[in-house]
Amino acid sequence: MAYHDDLIQHAIFLSELDLPDEPKQVRLRRAVSAAYYGVFHLLTTEAAQNWKHSSQRDRFARLFDHGRMKTCSSKVASCPLPDDSAQVPVASDLRLVADSFVKLQQARHTADYDNSKVWSRTQVYEMIALAEDAIAAWSRIRESESAQDYLLDLMGTRQ
Amino acid sequence: MILPRAVAQPAELVEHLNALAPFPSGVANLRYTVDNDWSGDPAIFFWITLSDDAARRAVLSQNSRRIMDVITQRLDPVGQWGLIPYFNFRSQSEQAKLRDEVFG
Repeated sequence: MAYHDDLIQHAIFLSELDLPDEPKQVRLRRAVSAAYYGVFHLLTTEAAQNWKHSSQRDRFARLFDHGRMKTCSSKVASCPLPDDSAQVPVASDLRLVADSFVKLQQARHTADYDNSKVWSRTQVYEMIALAEDAIAAWSRIRESESAQDYLLDLMGTRQ
Repeated sequence: MILPRAVAQPAELVEHLNALAPFPSGVANLRYTVDNDWSGDPAIFFWITLSDDAARRAVLSQNSRRIMDVITQRLDPVGQWGLIPYFNFRSQSEQAKLRDEVFG
C-alpha cells in the first residue's frame, strides 16, 4: 500500500478508536493531520516521480513548501471551468484536488496548533472524506497535462 | 495591498450571507466568522450544524459537498468577496454535548 493510503487508513483508525464512546481530542487531531499529509505526500511523491534520478526523488519531494503549495492550490481552486465541455471533467477534478488541499491544510494547522478548538467525529470524518475524494480525483487525472502543470506549479514556479 | 471587498464592505457581506437562507436541506444551523487563515489570507469560516440524519457517515460526504457547492455558488466567496471559504460540519447531537459557541 502506498504511503498516502497508509496515512488515510491511519486517520480512519484514529477517528474510530474510541467508538462507541466519546472520542479523545488527541486522536481526532492526529487523524486530521494524517488526512492532510495523505494528500500532501501523494502530490509531492507524484511530482518527484518526474525527477529523472530515482535516488534523488525523496530529496526532491522535500523541496515542497506548504505555503507555496497553498498559494498555487488556491489559484487553481478558484479558476473558472473551461468553456470546452470536453475539458470540464479534468478541470473539475483538478479543482477538487486543489480545493481539498487548501481546506485540509487549514484544518491540519488548526488541529496541530490550536488547543482552543474542539473537534467532533463528524468534522474529522468530513476531512477524511475530503482527502479520499481528492486522492480518487487525482488518480483519474494524474496523467493529464493540466495535472502535471499543477505539480510543477506547486513548487512555486513562475506562471 | 488591495483590501478584500468583504473587509471594505462588511455590511454588504452580511446582507448576502443573510440571503443564503433558507439553508440547503440537512442544515440545522449555519454560522460564520471572517478571519485570516493560517497563512494570513482573508477567509470566511462556516460553522455548520447538520441534522443527525444528514451527518450520518454514509451520507456525510455527499451532503457536505452539496452544501459547500450551494454556498460557494450563491456567495462566490473568492471571486466576489476576496475570502477563501472553509467549512466545518458537526451533527446536532455532537453540538448538544460540546456546546461550542462558534457553532451557535
